[in-house]
Amino acid sequence: MKRICMKVALLLVALLGGIGRPHAAVVFEAHSPYHHVQVIDDGGIRLLSFNGTQETRMSLANPLLGHFEYTEFFHAPWVWNPEIKRVLMLGLGGGSIQRAYQHYYTNVMIESVEVDPVVIKVANEYFQVRETPTHKIHQHDGRTFLQRGRETYDVILVDAYTRSRYGSSIPPHLVTREFFAQASARLGTNGVLAYNVIGQLQGGRADIIGALYRTMKEVFPQVYLFPASSSLNVVIIATKSPVPYDYARVQREGRELIRSGKVKLPTFATRLRAFQNVTPRNASVSPVLTDDRAPVESLMRGTGFSD
Amino acid sequence: MLKTVAAGFVFLGGFAIMVLEIAGARYLTKDFGGSFYIWISQIGVILIALALGYAIGGALADHFKRAAFLAPLLAVAGLFTMLIPNFTPPLLQAIVMRHPLDREISALWQKLDPALGSTLVFFLPCFVLAILSPYMIRLAARRLEQVGTISGLIYACSTVGSIAGVFVSGYVLIDFMGLSAIFRATGALILVLAVVSLLMDRWMGNSVEPLKS
Repeated sequence: MKRICMKVALLLVALLGGIGRPHAAVVFEAHSPYHHVQVIDDGGIRLLSFNGTQETRMSLANPLLGHFEYTEFFHAPWVWNPEIKRVLMLGLGGGSIQRAYQHYYTNVMIESVEVDPVVIKVANEYFQVRETPTHKIHQHDGRTFLQRGRETYDVILVDAYTRSRYGSSIPPHLVTREFFAQASARLGTNGVLAYNVIGQLQGGRADIIGALYRTMKEVFPQVYLFPASSSLNVVIIATKSPVPYDYARVQREGRELIRSGKVKLPTFATRLRAFQNVTPRNASVSPVLTDDRAPVESLMRGTGFSD
Repeated sequence: MLKTVAAGFVFLGGFAIMVLEIAGARYLTKDFGGSFYIWISQIGVILIALALGYAIGGALADHFKRAAFLAPLLAVAGLFTMLIPNFTPPLLQAIVMRHPLDREISALWQKLDPALGSTLVFFLPCFVLAILSPYMIRLAARRLEQVGTISGLIYACSTVGSIAGVFVSGYVLIDFMGLSAIFRATGALILVLAVVSLLMDRWMGNSVEPLKS
């Protein structure tokens, strides 16, 4: 009898869930001061949605799978610093990167900074992002956090842009020369910054990627690009080390990290093959972004004005 | 003629208020972060400045009845606005850095600090600009039975100026100009209004009489 009841209940749940959208169920929904936050389970994948667009994907069967390809570029800083101990991550979302770092690099101390308290709660309850002795979460604005702190990090990861039906947007105070100078001040001597953004890598018009590349070049001696193959995401990597790395060097360091077991991410070698050390074509026509002038709205809409 | 000048005057005043509000929200972001509370404080503080400016401006208009009275106020507001990029960064830094560095800023101050910042930077110029509307109503109204028409015209023109200020700053100025350039230009516009108020005074002389019915 009990079993039949269970089966009926499961059937009902399946039927009810299937009425609106087949296979998709909203398991959490809230309006935070920043986003319309939804958690949606869809065919074994859990999605974090801000304002109707996907922010994080996670496999329910294995939380280490299902994530977006670009999040794996955040492992690339190991190439430049094989002794990473402390990582600061601005932007939590569903915590794909935090989950991976906690799993693969158990000796690394991570601090996450997320401005939206609802996102922190959702990451904890639905995406297995926990505060542990090696992972601390601060509810704070990323820039104010950088400015007020003293400790230095080996790596700073920035994933702070959001999307809506009208396109991507990026907080204007997290793209400027002054912001990168503050980030650089919080990085150790061999520090690496990795920055996720969406935009055009090719094309002759002013664009957020060209602008960020130029702006980061003003602060960091070396800047590299990792464009994703399955989306328009590009992870820009900047190093405090002035030593230039070429494609062969990156692959060689990558093989060494895999061989020594320092990096166990199965797709690491594949991801490193996305490496580019060329200046994006639109960098010359895109402005250097400053606190005084950071027209991110038009740059992210392909209507940016040349310098 | 007087009505037209008064209407143009409050149009530009309303324009300047909203340029300060919109560009100001972006300006405060570097210190207080991209927080939702920046907008709350910009909108709230500027409405407080408007309410006080309206109330006090109306009383001043009844008392002084001369357009020249506005000139020193506008001159101070204009200079203040032009110098925002020069003198406010250390003040805003002081608000952020007064919290102990080893502890996180409490939820209450995460909300209230941006309002302190808005007040420090934008209260004074917006307060002065709000004085213009009731003041112009008093100067332009000649007969009691016109007060409705005149005040309606002044309200409308000031609001249309504000609407223009919102869209022009959000759609155009932010793309084409730096924030310091926007503040300098807005300050210069307020100084122009100071000069216009002197010209109006010379032109009108002592002609503001007690309202006749």
